[in-house]
Amino acid sequence: MPRKVFVTGMGMISAIGIGIEETLNSIINLKTGIGKLSLFRSIHGQIPVAEVRLSKGELAALAGIYRNQDAYSRNALFALIAAEQVYHGKAERGVGDRRTGLVMATTVGGMDVNERYYRSLTREGTYKDYIRLFDSADCTEKVATRFDIRNYVTTISTACSSSANSIMLGARLIKNNKLDRVLAGGSDSLTKFTLNGFNALEILSPTGCRPFDLNRNGLTIGEGAAMLMLEAEEKADPENVICEITGYANVNEAYHQTASAPGGTGAFMAMEKALDLASLKPDDIDYINAHGTGTEVNDLAEGKAIEDLFRNSIPPVSSTKAFTGHTLGAAGAMEAVLSALAIMHQIVLPGLNFAVPMPELGFIPVQKTDHAAIHHVISNSFGFGGNNTSLVFSKA
Amino acid sequence: MKAYVASSGVISPQQTHDTTGFPEHVCETVTSRLRCLEPDYRTLINPVQLRRMPRILKMGLASAKICLERAGNVKPGAIIVGTGLGCLDNLEKFLLDMLDHDEHITSVLPFINSTHNAVASQIAMVLKNYGYNYTYCHRALSFESALQDALMHIRESPDTSVLVGGIDECTDDYMLLHNYLGYWKQPVSNLDLFRGTGAGSGSGTVAGEGSAFFLLSGIPRNEENVILEAVHTFFMPEAYTDPEGIAAEADHFLTENNTGPADLDLVILGLSGDDHDDSIYRRLRQRYFKGAASFAGFKHLCGEFYTATAFALWLGATAIANQHVPAVALVDSEPKTIINKVLIYNHFKNAEHGMMLLTRAEGSG
Repeated sequence: MPRKVFVTGMGMISAIGIGIEETLNSIINLKTGIGKLSLFRSIHGQIPVAEVRLSKGELAALAGIYRNQDAYSRNALFALIAAEQVYHGKAERGVGDRRTGLVMATTVGGMDVNERYYRSLTREGTYKDYIRLFDSADCTEKVATRFDIRNYVTTISTACSSSANSIMLGARLIKNNKLDRVLAGGSDSLTKFTLNGFNALEILSPTGCRPFDLNRNGLTIGEGAAMLMLEAEEKADPENVICEITGYANVNEAYHQTASAPGGTGAFMAMEKALDLASLKPDDIDYINAHGTGTEVNDLAEGKAIEDLFRNSIPPVSSTKAFTGHTLGAAGAMEAVLSALAIMHQIVLPGLNFAVPMPELGFIPVQKTDHAAIHHVISNSFGFGGNNTSLVFSKA
Repeated sequence: MKAYVASSGVISPQQTHDTTGFPEHVCETVTSRLRCLEPDYRTLINPVQLRRMPRILKMGLASAKICLERAGNVKPGAIIVGTGLGCLDNLEKFLLDMLDHDEHITSVLPFINSTHNAVASQIAMVLKNYGYNYTYCHRALSFESALQDALMHIRESPDTSVLVGGIDECTDDYMLLHNYLGYWKQPVSNLDLFRGTGAGSGSGTVAGEGSAFFLLSGIPRNEENVILEAVHTFFMPEAYTDPEGIAAEADHFLTENNTGPADLDLVILGLSGDDHDDSIYRRLRQRYFKGAASFAGFKHLCGEFYTATAFALWLGATAIANQHVPAVALVDSEPKTIINKVLIYNHFKNAEHGMMLLTRAEGSG
């Protein structure tokens, strides 16, 4: 029998809160994190975003960094804050043994620092201390250093499914008996680079995203980090166990660099394979935390895939992106945290901003927190390059 | 958890793309930056697709295709790519477009092509491969992480094969920025890179780039005789400098794979020409690896970049397959006539460390 993998600790910082409690309260109270851009000046300042409304100095203080704060990119600070919550929570500290690993995910890494200093660097050669902060690995190595994780450290970057993939890899490393314990998650900060990129693709919502609504008009980008401690069954303190990771799958649609395949073939394959690995049938699933970006194409493709797979027994579906925004490389880990919370508190999480059903779909998203028996939750994360990942979390 | 190395496709600063053995001529240039010798992509990639394809995607797709063709065009069960910097050129293009035009973006294409997983997804799209598709971006552990994942895949489904590659491109801005950090030497002959005194010694190295893809298979497909036994990585926080720690990691890794330093016929080291970085290899060679038979370098042939170890894997695998190491690769060693076990060890700035163990399949030869 392969080893079971449990989630035993969680941390999260996003536009809807610092820490698990504040995050959950915002969701239950239907309080969105989407608002006006204040982090930097942009000609696209009218486009709503989901910011963590804290300055770099405030974030650094939260992360326990008081000296040389400039040596940290915003996403590294997010990751450190989320990881500290994991360790200050129930999971035991002092994990610097051979069998602990760190798997991080990001899409743009230290781009906030990069875009700020790039021109000064190339033209005047100033600010060269920041060059090492630009890439994907810098944040990961700062977390590894802080928590003394040396044996296995890596970073995944598969666009918007990045941190769902870091959780999947963490679970596989434990199942394959390579490691006993993996700190897995993702972090991304709001940057001018991503704001401009998604804007140029014409997929940013001018109003704030409306997942699974007929009048959905694009996604809203957000920022933050979420980290989860994954542990092998026999290593985990039973008191810390939040839920089990029973299924996971990653597939590629091989269709288009940025658009979902019509009919949601990738989403269907990912969910089907993840259920298969978990030895579950579609009607075993009690809640779907959808990718649900609020774009025309995603919600239709994902919705179709859900209908095709779950047919007459579609469980409650919602996208929490109307709260957190789409946090790109952190989204999969944030939604893993929220899926775990659904199991922990036996609730179905609501979406926001829904008014008119999509005529193509036979279901509408959940609109308020409902108590329900939640045994199994599926969480979807899809990314550019056709990268589709589904995770299944189960009551332990 | 091991795999047969069924084939490879390598685009590098050496003429590697059109041969399965070692190229006849070694490229020697006086430079700070080695550039890839690229194939005629029109023979490998559909011209319509080729037209607007960024260079790194061409390199990745072409080397992946060469690799798969040599394995008889098998359909891999997974595609896993390691890239330290991803599609850097397009990332810079979009960033500069945004900065220099006050956010009045002139083209969205570089943004689409700037995502780190563009190479892996491009390959999937062209091959219509719906399998597992991952991209690792962790400096000098990028390729090793991809290999570790590939080996785990083969453990999970032994009858599968995995296409795994390491790829990075160099850009003018990358050279400029990292010159501030003292990464590069003044122009020097690449073949002098870590050999004794003169311009090859001192600090800094020569930049490089490349794309190397491999088909790994759980079961022998044809008559493969090279086995990737295991891959080990570790990270050393800055404050932690313990040369004995590296030897302990090497010892742990080899012992786990029933091997001792004296069993190694060839040790391929990531010597870069930077005295400080190379001192780690030299100390390890003198102390821990002193029983090993011969030593080689590879960065004088491909340059320094985050996924240079993919080139080293090609070198090691080719040495076993041909039972020969070209003299140009050897470092203060006599050539060995039998090459059964090869260890590759590389580190980047004493932070990311990776080891790979290759063996010759029993009964081959």
